[in-house]
Order: sequence, then C-alpha cells, then structure tokens
Amino acid sequence: MSTLLLSNIAVRYTGQPRPAVEGASLSVAHGEFVVLTGRSGCGKSTLLNVAAGLVLPERGEVSVDGRLIEGPGADRAVVFQSDALFPWFSARDNVAFALRLRGIGERQRHVLANELLKRVRLEGLGDKPVWEMSGGMRQRVGLARALAAEPDFLLMDEPLGALDALTRERMQTLLLDIWAPGNLGVLMVTHGIEEALLLGTRVVVMAPDPGRIAHTFEAGFSRRYAAGEPVRSIKADRAFAAARAELADAIFEGEPA
Amino acid sequence: MTLLHAERGLRDLAEPERSTARLPRRETPRRELSSRAISAITILVALLAWTVVTRLGLVAPLFLPPPQDVLAKFWKVMSQGFVDATLLQHLLASLGRVFAALVAATLVGIPVGLAIGTSRIGRGIFDPVLEFLRPIPPLAYLPLVIIWFGIGEQAKVLVIAIAMVAPIALSTASGVRNVQQDRLSAARSLGATRRQVIRFVVLPSALPSILTGLRIALGAGWTTLVAAELVAATRGLGFMIQSAAQFLVTDVVVMGIFVIAAVAFVLEFGLRRLERRLVPWAGRE
Repeated sequence: MSTLLLSNIAVRYTGQPRPAVEGASLSVAHGEFVVLTGRSGCGKSTLLNVAAGLVLPERGEVSVDGRLIEGPGADRAVVFQSDALFPWFSARDNVAFALRLRGIGERQRHVLANELLKRVRLEGLGDKPVWEMSGGMRQRVGLARALAAEPDFLLMDEPLGALDALTRERMQTLLLDIWAPGNLGVLMVTHGIEEALLLGTRVVVMAPDPGRIAHTFEAGFSRRYAAGEPVRSIKADRAFAAARAELADAIFEGEPA
Repeated sequence: MTLLHAERGLRDLAEPERSTARLPRRETPRRELSSRAISAITILVALLAWTVVTRLGLVAPLFLPPPQDVLAKFWKVMSQGFVDATLLQHLLASLGRVFAALVAATLVGIPVGLAIGTSRIGRGIFDPVLEFLRPIPPLAYLPLVIIWFGIGEQAKVLVIAIAMVAPIALSTASGVRNVQQDRLSAARSLGATRRQVIRFVVLPSALPSILTGLRIALGAGWTTLVAAELVAATRGLGFMIQSAAQFLVTDVVVMGIFVIAAVAFVLEFGLRRLERRLVPWAGRE
C-alpha cells in the first residue's frame, strides 16, 4: 500500500504574473481514484505534471511513501490527452516499448504486450499502425502502454477529453475496470462533471487565479461499480443527480452567472 | 431505421459543401485546366518553338542544335560513347560520386544536426560552422579542396559532400527541435534514459524531416556535380559536358543538360516514394 503525497505545492511558470498553482496538497493512496477538476486555467494539469515529476515545483515536495520524487519515473505512469503514442511503432510495439525499458526480453515482450492489449479490449489489433486508429483506440493503446510499466500510480491528464460522447462512456467503464482490482492509485484530470463523479472515490475541485484546491468531495459511486452495480443504475440514482448539482456549484463558485 | 436514414441524409447534404470549399470560387462552373495539363502544354510549346527556330535556320546549330540532332546524339553516345566512355559510364561515374558524398554527408550531418537540436554546447559549436559553409558556392572552395586533397576521386566526393552537409544537418536539427513534448514526457515517465529517449523517440520523430533534408542535399549535390568534375576527371556527366563545350559539340552539351535534369527528376521521385514507405505517418496526425 503506497501513497503518493503532494504537500504545499507552488508552481510559477516563467513570464506569468500569478502562480499556476499555490499551496496545493493532495494524497493518492493505492485503491483510490482521485479526480482533479475545475475550470480552465485552475492548474489541475500542472498539479498532475508535478505528481508525474515532469514539472518541478517552485515550493513544496512530492513523495511516495516518504521517498522524495525529483523526476519522472515508471512507478507513476502517465496517460496524455494527446495520447503521445509513437506513430513509428505498431500498437503492440508501443506497449512493448514500456516493457523493453523494464528490461524484458523480446519474446516475452510480445506475449505480455498482447495480454495488455487484450486488457484494454484491443485484442488482435497489435499489428495495426497507431496512426490508422481512432481516437478511442489510440487512448486505449496509451493506457496499455502506461500499464505495461507496472506502475503504482496511474496519472491521466484528460485522457477522454478528445473523444466523442459514446466512446467516452465506454472508456469510463474500461477505466473503472482497470482500477477496480485495487492495486493502483489513480489520479485523473477531467473537465467532465459527471465523469468526475462516476469515476472518483475523491473529487478535488480546483479554482483559478492562483490555481488552488477549493473543495474536496468524497464520492462513493465508483465503489458501487466495483461492488457490481451497473453504470446505468448508478447514474439513474437520485443521489447521483444531487451530487452532480453540488459539484457543479462548487466548480462554478465565484464565477459571474 | 428511420433515424439512420435521417443521419445519412444529413451527411449527403454536408458532402458537397466540403468538396466545393476551394478558393477562389467562380460564379459559373466551367471546365478548368489542371496545372499539370498547363505544364504539359508549356513543355510542348517550348519544344515546338525550339524545332521551328532551328528548322527555319534562325539560329546556327553551333548555338542551338535542333532537337532531333540532340536525340540522335543521345543514342550515339549511349552506344558509341563520347570522350572514351559511353553515356551510361559517365552517368554511373557521376552517380557513384554523388552517392558516396551522400553517405559521407549523412554520417556527418545527422550527428551534427542531433547535437545542434539537443544540446546547448552542440548548437554553440556547429551553428557558426554551418552558417559559414552554407552560402559558399562550391566553385569557391574547389581550389582549396584540390590544394589540400589533390585531384583524386576523394577530392571530388568531398566537394559534393560539403554542399550536402548543411541541408542534412539543419533539417535534422529542425526535426529534433520539433519533437512533440508529450512524446518526450511519455518516454521519460516510462523510465527511458536520455540515450533511450534520443534513440527511440527523438530520431524517429525527426525522420520525416531528415528525409526531406536528404532530398534537398541530393539536389544540392547534383547541382555541384559539374564543379566537382572540372578538374582531372576522365568520366562523369559534368566532365562530358565540359569536354563537349571545349570542342564546341553543342548537341552533346544540350543532351548532357537534359540527362542531368532527367536524373535529378528520377532521384527526387524515388526519394519521395521512399519517404512514403519509411514514414507513412508523417503529416497524417
């Protein structure tokens, strides 16, 4: 059971008058699905990049079980909105690349990569060039690649942001299925209010100018999914609608109507 | 079912919108010539003018031989040769030099471009060198190359290679600098070392740009050919043209120019095919 801890993070980009993030603290434990949400420019992606070690904070520190983080690492795999796949590799080789970095031999890479593709429901599509794939398929390859690193934490920066509504719903259940076994801590950035509620065990709302954490909600809907309740029945629940309204209020708080 | 049909109908409406979105638009639809057709007509008109001018005797054959003479010379040099070598032998000699130079320039240019694109020190060292070399015409440094390296084959290859290094290095550097930041981040967060990032992400990312650089370099090298074959060559298209000029065999000069142009065209075409094979993803994302 490890815990990823961000304490009192401040980030200021050069040339920007206000800090992108100011005094943000956050923890993600194994088995948790933490969702960062908020209006544009509230610093949620910046905070995720700090957790990934891709942005170094001006103040504050990031640690995993007390071990200080000073750069990116395979224990915190990242899924990007742009998918960041390597078009010169096939789908399988994109996944196998992460396995290769772990020092796994060629033959085993092939087998493991196929298994991972199966896990993200892309069975039999390993030879397909990624530039011929749809956005949803590419995002799944990116997910399989991140999982190939066998991370403790999965960090996702608006992974479903560029997908159409139907693909998005399918991907949400896929993400829940990946998370449900409980051997991963997930930190995800999203603009989607419903998505945040459905997926998150905790929903963290950030506010802009300067980017800071404004509210934190404990949400139990993804636990209900993990316990076997279908997504449709969860979304039809009155409690879901009420929580949705409450979350929307928190996100748009202080904004002129 | 009806819903599907409705959607289909909407798409059909949308379709012609997209296909006529060309600028500028004409009020009345009229058959227009493609620019390819206009190019073909231009070439035909030039050939016709050339034939008429020479047929009417308006220009002496010494200055402009008629097209059929040039064509006849082409066959004659193909079979019997000119200045002790057939056209094919001249061509192969020139191609051999250009490709040897391409290999040398690639071996130098890609690492230099990589250094410029990835490191502050590399950029500091190589940028001024390239900026110095790039604008110098080959004829200007030819004498120095001969003084240093003699009049052998390697000097000729070197003259061509110098002209090729800058385009290859600069294209590589620009390709390296334009690598998507997210791809670098992805590789780093998967645990790739700096060396692995360069090998598996930076170089393949830059490959489309590198191939464009090779294409430009090949053009530049081919342009330098005549200069390289100015001194102490016994074979080569450039050498053939110069010898012909000395004996005022104008039809061989004209024929040589056409052969050089045709080969350049074929090389360009071949490299574009190679690009499509090697980097099919380029420009499709």
